[in-house]
Amino acid sequence: MMSTVTRPGVILPYYRATRNTFKSLVFPGAMELFTVAGKAELLIYQCCLSFLFPAPAGTRLAHTDIKIPDFSDYRRPEVLDPRKSSQDSSDTRKAFSYMLTGATAVVGVYAAKTVVTQFVTSMSASADVLALSKIEIKLSDIPEGKNMTFKWRGKPLFVRHRTEKEISTEEAVNIGELRDPQHDKERVINPKWVVVIGVCTHLGCVPIANAGDFGGYYCPCHGSHYDASGRIRRGPAPLNLEVPYYEFLDDNTLVVG
Amino acid sequence: MAASVCRVGSTVGRALAKSRSPVLLSLRRGQASVSYAQSLLGAPETQLTALDNGLRVASEDTGHATCTVGLWIGAGSRYENERNNGTGFFLEHMAFKGTKKHTQTALEQQVESMGAHLSAYTSREHTAYYMKTLAKDLPKAVELLSEVVQSCSLNEAEIEQQRGVVLRELEEVESNLQEVCLDLLHATAYQGTPLGQSLGSLCDLVEYINIHYKAPRMVLAAAGGVNHEELVGLAKSHMSGVSFEYEGDVVPVLSPCRFTGSDIRMRDDALPLAHVAIAVEGASASSPDIVPLMVANAVIGSYDLTYGGGKHLSSRLARIAVEDKLCHSFQAFSSSYSDTGLLGIYFVSDKHHIDDMMHWSQNAWMNLCTTVTESDVARGRNALKASLVGQLNGTTPICDEIGRHVLNYGRRVPLAEWNARIDAVTPSVLRDVCSKYIYDKCPAVVGVGPIEQLTDYNRIRSAMYWLRF
Repeated sequence: MMSTVTRPGVILPYYRATRNTFKSLVFPGAMELFTVAGKAELLIYQCCLSFLFPAPAGTRLAHTDIKIPDFSDYRRPEVLDPRKSSQDSSDTRKAFSYMLTGATAVVGVYAAKTVVTQFVTSMSASADVLALSKIEIKLSDIPEGKNMTFKWRGKPLFVRHRTEKEISTEEAVNIGELRDPQHDKERVINPKWVVVIGVCTHLGCVPIANAGDFGGYYCPCHGSHYDASGRIRRGPAPLNLEVPYYEFLDDNTLVVG
Repeated sequence: MAASVCRVGSTVGRALAKSRSPVLLSLRRGQASVSYAQSLLGAPETQLTALDNGLRVASEDTGHATCTVGLWIGAGSRYENERNNGTGFFLEHMAFKGTKKHTQTALEQQVESMGAHLSAYTSREHTAYYMKTLAKDLPKAVELLSEVVQSCSLNEAEIEQQRGVVLRELEEVESNLQEVCLDLLHATAYQGTPLGQSLGSLCDLVEYINIHYKAPRMVLAAAGGVNHEELVGLAKSHMSGVSFEYEGDVVPVLSPCRFTGSDIRMRDDALPLAHVAIAVEGASASSPDIVPLMVANAVIGSYDLTYGGGKHLSSRLARIAVEDKLCHSFQAFSSSYSDTGLLGIYFVSDKHHIDDMMHWSQNAWMNLCTTVTESDVARGRNALKASLVGQLNGTTPICDEIGRHVLNYGRRVPLAEWNARIDAVTPSVLRDVCSKYIYDKCPAVVGVGPIEQLTDYNRIRSAMYWLRF
């Protein structure tokens, strides 16, 4: 390699403690040092002495006057002692720093995710809108055989308290005869109560309760007859009345939606 | 087709060369008569003897007509504390100002009449006084050296004069920004410890000599046309008086020095070039990892503007530096002390390319830790072997190496051993060792000059690992 051939001394620094070759006092020339440095210069150097030893604050004449500050206040305990090698503790110190960083990163990511989801979900339906989406009905207000209508999500909701006779009639219906075959059991949770949306599946009129030939509902617009389970029996409507999601909080309370 | 021609050609060459015909010897181009490893086994041996007072004498007889002989002492700025910081350096200056037997003039006359060179240096862990002279003047040289070290006269007037000289040398060092940079690197990397000191206030020289110049910590080393028995005899006669006892049984023991990943920036926009160094804690001189780390440095290599290879230099970092004009020079360096060390990259660049150069330097480190290839490692091994041999070009470097090795290891490590240890470095060994010292460690960073663009420490620290791994 060209560079090594021309400058073998460059890799010599392996052994070079950095200040090994000072100017050597070669005797044949050494005499000059004192004749040249005549009286005047000696005086100057003696004056310099008082400046340099000790180094006064504010005047920097040599890089050696720079004093590295003492950072003991900031050091970790393992590296406080200048007479102990810092290699031994280096792994533990690094592990501590990295674990702390890692934990902070995890916490930070989680915090960021929370903030972002909070901002994004703020764009979804607000509480008052959500409040309108459910309706709570006291079932004790509805006597047997009676159908009550409630406004729910902008549509009429029929809640019917069925009599035993109505229940057994509906359960005995042959499904094969139905346009939209559904057994009564599929349409109710508790057979005593029928909860349907009061919108005719033909063209959207509101059927009249306790009317029609099947003991259920009758839509006056085009003559659709529904039974006590809300199933279409006669007329132009194609589907049974829609059954919304509902649940019984207790025997007396019905929550729809 | 071409391959078969080559095969035939080399076979013919070998056959012809075996007949020792000089004209045809040139056909043996690709064949050395002795391999490098074999030739090393024939190198002259370094002999080592210890005197009764613990002083060690080591020498290598290279057969030259000249020789270098010197005293290497295990004392340096690392052994000083804040109070006496700088004493070693000052002492080195005082050493040649006359001894109890010779005045300064007499000493100079003695040395000059031999035509010798008398020199000294101090480093963080070692101090050396050595003389380069004719081989036949060895006795005189040893006598003078022993005088200089044992009985140097320290009179007040001389001390005052020397202060001025020392100050001037310090001033000169200021203008050598490489020294400043690397000095600051030690200061910040080893902050609060003796290794972080450079020079400062001066103190009691006599006390310093008493404490540190003890026989067990000294080595009389020589290289050149020297006879080991003669040298031992001279040492016995001149240096048996060096004490080996400590007052109050206080042996100065070096405690480990803590490395602190840190940075220091000396910004000066008036300077034309920025000098930047980045280093991690490396291996100590006696650690087995030192050889893989040397190979690693050889893989990264060095560069400066005078290199003619352009973008065909073998070191990847050098290629990038040339193509994008990232720096004026860089070198991978490694400084080792008895129990710690620095492994780093130093570069000089103009103020608009510091960030890029730092990025690619760290990239080179990461490459060493993860994906270094067999061809790179082979190249590094060869470069290292060549440099180890190449730096022993004269009696003085050889003598210096003897002195330092005996102080560090207790013996001279022969080239054959270095060779074997270098050959043991494979890419996986290199990756493991580099990862141990470099990967995800806190570096020490220094910047001197117009360093506004020098990368922020946190980003430098983040570049010490790769997420892709």
